[in-house]
Amino acid sequence: MFTLFTSMFKEEWRMHSTLFGNLNFALFPVLIFAIAFMGVFILPLITTVMDTVLLSIVVHAQFILLGIMVGSFGILGKEVMNRRFGQASLIAYSARSLPVSEQMVFLNFVVKDILYYFILWVLPFGLGFLAASPFLGINLYYPMLLLLTLSIAFLMGLCTIFLLSAIYSRSKPALFAVLAILLAGFLGSSILYSPGTVLSAVLLPVSIFDSFTYSGLLLSLGAIAVFFTLSILFFTSADTGSEKHYRNLLDSVSQRLGFLQDNTLVAKDFIDLYRSGIGIGQTIFSFLLPLGLIWLVLSFLREFLTQNNILFTIAVVTGVIASTMYTWVTEFDSISAYYFLPLNISSIIRAKTGTFTVLQVVPVVFIIAVGLLSDAAASIPNAVVLCLSVSFFELALMIRMCGLEPGTMIYNVRVFLKYILITGPVILVLLGLTFISPYLAYISVILFIPAWYLIKSGFKKWDNSDYAGF
Amino acid sequence: MPVIKTENISKKFGELKAVDEVNLGVEKGSLFGLLGPNGSGKTTMIKMLTGQIKPSSGSAKVLGIDPVKEGIRVREVVGIIPEQETPPSFLTSGEYLSFVAKIRKIDGIEEKSDWWFDYLDFADKKDVLCKDLSRGTRQKLMFAQAFLHDPEIALIDEPLINLDPVMQRKVKKFLKDYVESGNTVFLSTHILEIAEEICTDFAILHKGRLLHTGKTDELKEKGMHLDDFFMELVERS
Repeated sequence: MFTLFTSMFKEEWRMHSTLFGNLNFALFPVLIFAIAFMGVFILPLITTVMDTVLLSIVVHAQFILLGIMVGSFGILGKEVMNRRFGQASLIAYSARSLPVSEQMVFLNFVVKDILYYFILWVLPFGLGFLAASPFLGINLYYPMLLLLTLSIAFLMGLCTIFLLSAIYSRSKPALFAVLAILLAGFLGSSILYSPGTVLSAVLLPVSIFDSFTYSGLLLSLGAIAVFFTLSILFFTSADTGSEKHYRNLLDSVSQRLGFLQDNTLVAKDFIDLYRSGIGIGQTIFSFLLPLGLIWLVLSFLREFLTQNNILFTIAVVTGVIASTMYTWVTEFDSISAYYFLPLNISSIIRAKTGTFTVLQVVPVVFIIAVGLLSDAAASIPNAVVLCLSVSFFELALMIRMCGLEPGTMIYNVRVFLKYILITGPVILVLLGLTFISPYLAYISVILFIPAWYLIKSGFKKWDNSDYAGF
Repeated sequence: MPVIKTENISKKFGELKAVDEVNLGVEKGSLFGLLGPNGSGKTTMIKMLTGQIKPSSGSAKVLGIDPVKEGIRVREVVGIIPEQETPPSFLTSGEYLSFVAKIRKIDGIEEKSDWWFDYLDFADKKDVLCKDLSRGTRQKLMFAQAFLHDPEIALIDEPLINLDPVMQRKVKKFLKDYVESGNTVFLSTHILEIAEEICTDFAILHKGRLLHTGKTDELKEKGMHLDDFFMELVERS
């Protein structure tokens, strides 16, 4: 079994390094290390405007989110084996012709993903903090503890989402029942206990970092082990050989979308999202869950932030996360299925942009709900404009830099660095402006100008290059 | 006047020369077989001829159209069966043909697709998702989509490989009739028996280089079999 694991690991590395070059990809963890290393030197500055507890929550929440993002591949449920293994012809596909159970193949695949992304993201971040600590006289105990708690945060996010997605692949009603129980438990405990107690239960790694106890460590490791084991047990693989009949949706959906230039391609995207379950799955796991977590964390910071500040922060984060909807519609189907038809790469990207635009209803509804529930209804229009401006700007950046491969191109260190360097200042400036006055949120519409330019130049760039695909 | 013509066309992928200065001419009304072992550059040739990838050097014309400058126009007028039979997973067979028809702006699709479902004997799979189809049925579907708009030229990459003998016979007959009515087929294959049986002209490609072009009748007149001729050339090169 170890051979299977190491081969999959090498394969993942080769897939990324083939796309971006060995050096370019090898530099990715170095970049994360450098960001963490340099980040430590501005810690004294950050702590003047942000409480250390708040900072600890933000950092740990980010690694829980990272775990959720990495783990959310599992939402594809039955499709994960078909799509990732079948069409991409990975080792796991060949492994299915060996005398190995699909659960064992999947176990290897998941463990490989955990270790791979741990080495890629979590370890370099922790080591960056560790390496810089002596320069600021920080006791080495703290960076070591941080590495431990960030690893726990990453694994908790990953295993939680993985368990939920495994339940989802078995039965959608069961998933909704589990989510309802979790929500009821959360609301109930919010009434019975103080916000601090609830938060430390939800963000267990933060509590361990704040005051380390062996019981806390054992509890979190136990939870991870249970979630992980249940996920593997619940996992159900591709349902091959089924021959269910479906009524024709393409004609009616494309007719309904007749107002769009590429209505046929957009209709196909929506049928894909609907029939694969990716639409609802991604909305829950990659959108509502992470944003719900961020909203939860922010809502406990009411003594530091006003309701408007919280709403605008959520609007910006929602914009960033909503922009990843572009990866939903580009990742799960290979365009080699129709690229031999009279279509340009730019017309396919334009159609994906059309699908993306229609999907923006989801973040808009979310922002409206947050605004209404957090008693900031007057600022909803500003927040919606802010969210959509950020989302379309990020989409344009992805189109320009990644074309139809945003999910993989992000691991190209040059692409990632450019993305961070462009996105970071834009977000900070916008947040700063909304903190001065809610009306300044409308300034964000300026972003549509560079977005338009980036999309247009992206079309030209990708039309002039050979489509590589997988 | 050839309907497909290439001049010193080459394609490099990094250090690998997938196609190396190939000169080809395919006459109208011929069933042209591009033959070669796996990895000889056949699929790359089809992709270059249809503007899916750009040549590193050299040029090509398909029906007088330059696929580098007007790839879309070439793909509008020709029919293509790609190497891998990968129709979109979550569309049904019927939806996929309808999808192709909408992209190609073909009218009367219902009637045309029904004809293909009946001809290739898979009408019972019309409402089944492409991901749940067998490889053979996917191959039939890809065959149907390539001829849906009655193209003058069809560039088809290993179209018979997953079909059973009954269906192979049917498809071979279709291709012969299609060519007899004045159309052209550019068939890429490594199955020499099929090429010998149906092709009027052929070219042999090996490691990206063109080894030979000729007519199958001329070989027959000399009493030679295509596979012997092919083996001799490939082993000698």
